[in-house]
Amino acid sequence: MENNEKDIRKAIRKEALRKNVNLFRSSKLGKTGLIIVAFFAFLAILQPILFLTGIWNDGVYHPVVGYDASKTEFLVVECPRDYPTEKYESRADCPAKGEINKSIIFDPNVKVGQLYEANVQPAPPSSKHILGTDSLGRDIFSQIMEGSQVAFLLGLLSATLGVAISTILGSIAAFYGGRVDAYLMRQSDLILMLPFLPLLFIISAFVELKVWHLAVVLGILGGLGGSVITIKSAALQVKVKPFVDSARITGGSRMRILFSHILPNVAPLALLFMVFSVTGAIASESVLSFLGLLNIDMSWGLMIYLSQTDGYIFSGLEYWWLILPAGLSVTFLAGGFYLVGRGLDEVFNPRLRGR
Amino acid sequence: MKKEVLKVDNLNMHYETLSGNVSAVKNVSFTIHEGESFGLVGESGCGKTSVAMSLLQLQADNAKISSGSIKLEGRELVGLSESELRKVRWDSISIVFQGAMNAWNPVIKIGEQIREAIREHYPSNTKQQNIEKIKELFEIVGLKEEIMDRYPHELSGGMKQRAVIALALSCNPKVVIADEPTTALDVVIQDQILKEIKKVQELLGLSLIYISHDIAVIAEMTSQMAVMYAGSIVEIGPTKEIFSNPKHAYTRLLLESTPSVVGEKKKLRSLDGEPPSLIDDIKGCSFSPRCPNPTEECKNGTKDMRLIKVGEGHYADSCCVECG
Amino acid sequence: MTRYIINRALQMTMVFLIFLVASYLLFNAMPGNAFQSLLLNPSLPPDAYEKTLKLYGLDKPLLERLQLYIVNFFKGDFGYSYKFYPKSPVELIAERLPRTLMLFSIVNIFAFYTGFIVGKILAWKRGSKSETWITITSVFSYTVFYPWFALLMLWFFGYKLGWLPIGKFLYPEKWYDAPFDSDVVFLNMIYFTIAISAIQFLAYVFTRNIESLSLRKNLRLGSFFFILFLSYIYWNTGDALIKKPYAFDIAFHMILPVFTVTLLAFAGTALLTRTTMMEVLKEDYILTARAKGLSQKRIRDRHAARTALLPVVTSFIFTIVTIIDGSVLTEQIFSWPGMGQLILQAVLEEDIPVAMATFSFLGIFALVAHFLADMSYAYLDPRIRIKSQG
Repeated sequence: MENNEKDIRKAIRKEALRKNVNLFRSSKLGKTGLIIVAFFAFLAILQPILFLTGIWNDGVYHPVVGYDASKTEFLVVECPRDYPTEKYESRADCPAKGEINKSIIFDPNVKVGQLYEANVQPAPPSSKHILGTDSLGRDIFSQIMEGSQVAFLLGLLSATLGVAISTILGSIAAFYGGRVDAYLMRQSDLILMLPFLPLLFIISAFVELKVWHLAVVLGILGGLGGSVITIKSAALQVKVKPFVDSARITGGSRMRILFSHILPNVAPLALLFMVFSVTGAIASESVLSFLGLLNIDMSWGLMIYLSQTDGYIFSGLEYWWLILPAGLSVTFLAGGFYLVGRGLDEVFNPRLRGR
Repeated sequence: MKKEVLKVDNLNMHYETLSGNVSAVKNVSFTIHEGESFGLVGESGCGKTSVAMSLLQLQADNAKISSGSIKLEGRELVGLSESELRKVRWDSISIVFQGAMNAWNPVIKIGEQIREAIREHYPSNTKQQNIEKIKELFEIVGLKEEIMDRYPHELSGGMKQRAVIALALSCNPKVVIADEPTTALDVVIQDQILKEIKKVQELLGLSLIYISHDIAVIAEMTSQMAVMYAGSIVEIGPTKEIFSNPKHAYTRLLLESTPSVVGEKKKLRSLDGEPPSLIDDIKGCSFSPRCPNPTEECKNGTKDMRLIKVGEGHYADSCCVECG
Repeated sequence: MTRYIINRALQMTMVFLIFLVASYLLFNAMPGNAFQSLLLNPSLPPDAYEKTLKLYGLDKPLLERLQLYIVNFFKGDFGYSYKFYPKSPVELIAERLPRTLMLFSIVNIFAFYTGFIVGKILAWKRGSKSETWITITSVFSYTVFYPWFALLMLWFFGYKLGWLPIGKFLYPEKWYDAPFDSDVVFLNMIYFTIAISAIQFLAYVFTRNIESLSLRKNLRLGSFFFILFLSYIYWNTGDALIKKPYAFDIAFHMILPVFTVTLLAFAGTALLTRTTMMEVLKEDYILTARAKGLSQKRIRDRHAARTALLPVVTSFIFTIVTIIDGSVLTEQIFSWPGMGQLILQAVLEEDIPVAMATFSFLGIFALVAHFLADMSYAYLDPRIRIKSQG
């Protein structure tokens, strides 16, 4: 009889899962989000494959230490002082594509009008480097893929940690009430009181923030903060439902009720939170890298940081490949996770579905 | 003959869903006269609420009236624009919803919500005039004046239900639809509310459409009734007549499954099976799967199916009159 | 109710104490201190470093310093800034705070208002093609990489088009012979903004009870024009007239940051409103409203949006709490010398008195705001209100 019951439970769960998957599929937002996330996940996995199978040469394409030693030919010119001239409209037009300014060549023997082979970084996108290279000659596309790995790792790790903490704490606060509740609320108040960015500045002063460390820090800060309050109110709504009372009357211990009744009902909200936390984590990392606080080898935020310190940010659209891919990746992946969260929201909250 | 207030003719309504069109109302026709109370009875999902919603054209976005006409005092309602419909709603036809608990917006006072309805249709009234009107209404339904300043959650279920009735009457409608107004209440309150409704109807000369799955209530409240099954009317006629002389197999089974306090103890007959899913096109008699004596023709659909006269003002779906 | 408030106040005080201690220890745990640069300067006598430390009391053991600080704190003595000596942290905060407040209160009001309206409309248009795309665009404006976007805006409007100034909050040239400081002008502008908002808010409250709809709308619109008229008079007479060009200068510099941050911030409110509205639209009382013959617009604004307002207002209050925290990044990028920059500087340079003072300010602010949020929620939802009264 026991087996039968277990089988029935399994069958019910499978059915429910199938139904939920279908619901998710009918949500346009969720689908779009999922596609975006899948795309970046693909990029993240693609990189090690490219390296392992040898399609990409490790020395050239490595995001951190790669260097493209190939040279291209340029026509040497000397850029005039005043503009416009017959050849050039403004300062920005000289040197033109395929030309190189004599002033930056160290070799004194080179003359104007000669062809010179040089290795100019950052190089614009070409057939060899789909998104070009940065000022150190590293392939941008490879960097994007590496950044994708970092984003996923960091995001998922910190989100899981944070949600685990806040769910457990929030449920405990809701369930036990009274002093425990008051204490936990004040604790999350304490975390809320601390300004996020300055706090991270302080932390980075005495802890070296690599990916794992940052994930833990973000997870703890997120988990102990305002999310406890939200989960608590959700758990409160479950607590007042009749089936919790009946569970207590039939003699269930408090712990058991907490785990097998309240937690599963709070789980959808927790899952939602987790997805949204990933968004926040990715955004936070990019901002922190941008400010130069982190010690991560390569990430999207770092890419933008480098382009700023190298002075390319105000170059406008000329060196777009240094800034746009990284910036857009952050936006799209964070947004993609958010859309997935919206899609999940429609699954869990029947009132949000189309009429 | 009393004046015709509402005439529904061959109304067809369907929902457009991802799995295809679901026909919810099939060829429904009935007429209501002034001061008359008309009952609509049937199982859950048989289409009674859909009919009610179509009268006010309040259905969901994916519901469409495919054909038929609804004439209110001679004026055709099907095909009117939204702004014209808005004028008709509440002013001519109002509805007392199932579950009054949720009909009220929790953050607005009761009085304000009623005044809102009156304001919409009588914009030139002053606030004092409206308050006077509400006082009158409350007196009719048996509520104290101060309820006006209360929030919905401060009222009991019965009070909320009475307030909903007051709300429905606020613009002097000609037809009031009561959709299972007492289902969620206990029997004592139920009785009170039913008496209120009857009193109000007689007092104001309203026409009432009473929708319920409880046949006993229909018997008490209505003079004309129709029995619905799977989206169409299977029997229609004077209430007394149908009760004493049910002609349709379904009606008969329905009556026999209700216990009676008077008379000898009879064994209850219950209906097997479930109402059919309205997504699939039903061939033949829709009742045949549950009919106790189905014939081959019933199932195949070669039987001629239309309403035939079986008594004075009394019609039934021809198929199941002979069987069962 | 009062018992709850007293209880809560006690708890808040306790939390604040812990906060003070924790912050102090944290700051002191950071390696180095504010005066290390003295060691690098070869022209100073070798004992200058020790002397300076002794002067500021930094040679005493940690616990003793902690005790001293806490005692002084509650006496109202916050010390002097290490870097900006002899300015006290309070002076510094008083100087910087109006600038941040001015900028971010405008941003928040705009963002909140715009976001609410957009979210309302989005939820109402559910299922239409435009709805999905607008929502997706909102999502991406919410997650866009802020520094990158801000720099892009700076570059585009400031550099390429040259329409708006690049950073800073005024043109120093214009202020050379100004008879007063920028803080005075700022304060003036803040009072002005508060006055306007208060008048409009009062107008809303007093017209709530008017029966006729068109009259109500006209009155509110009228109060708006009245405000415009008042502003014109105010800025063109007496004291304010002199300040006008300076105020305009500041306002001009505010345009770009306000525009940029609002663009990003409104999406959050819009999405929240949309979600809440969508939940509300399923409620039965919306159906009742339709049956009553009310117009779509009226149902949307009076019934659905009113209930959706609750979580949005709560989130608005929380946003106010994070004003200063969020301002850190913005002020860095736009070189707007406000509180955010002050905190960052203090932390980086280990200017402990200033750091402690600003953190404490933030802390109290956050505690009070959280408390207010709880109270306002109770006010907006009559169900909770009545329950807590017994």
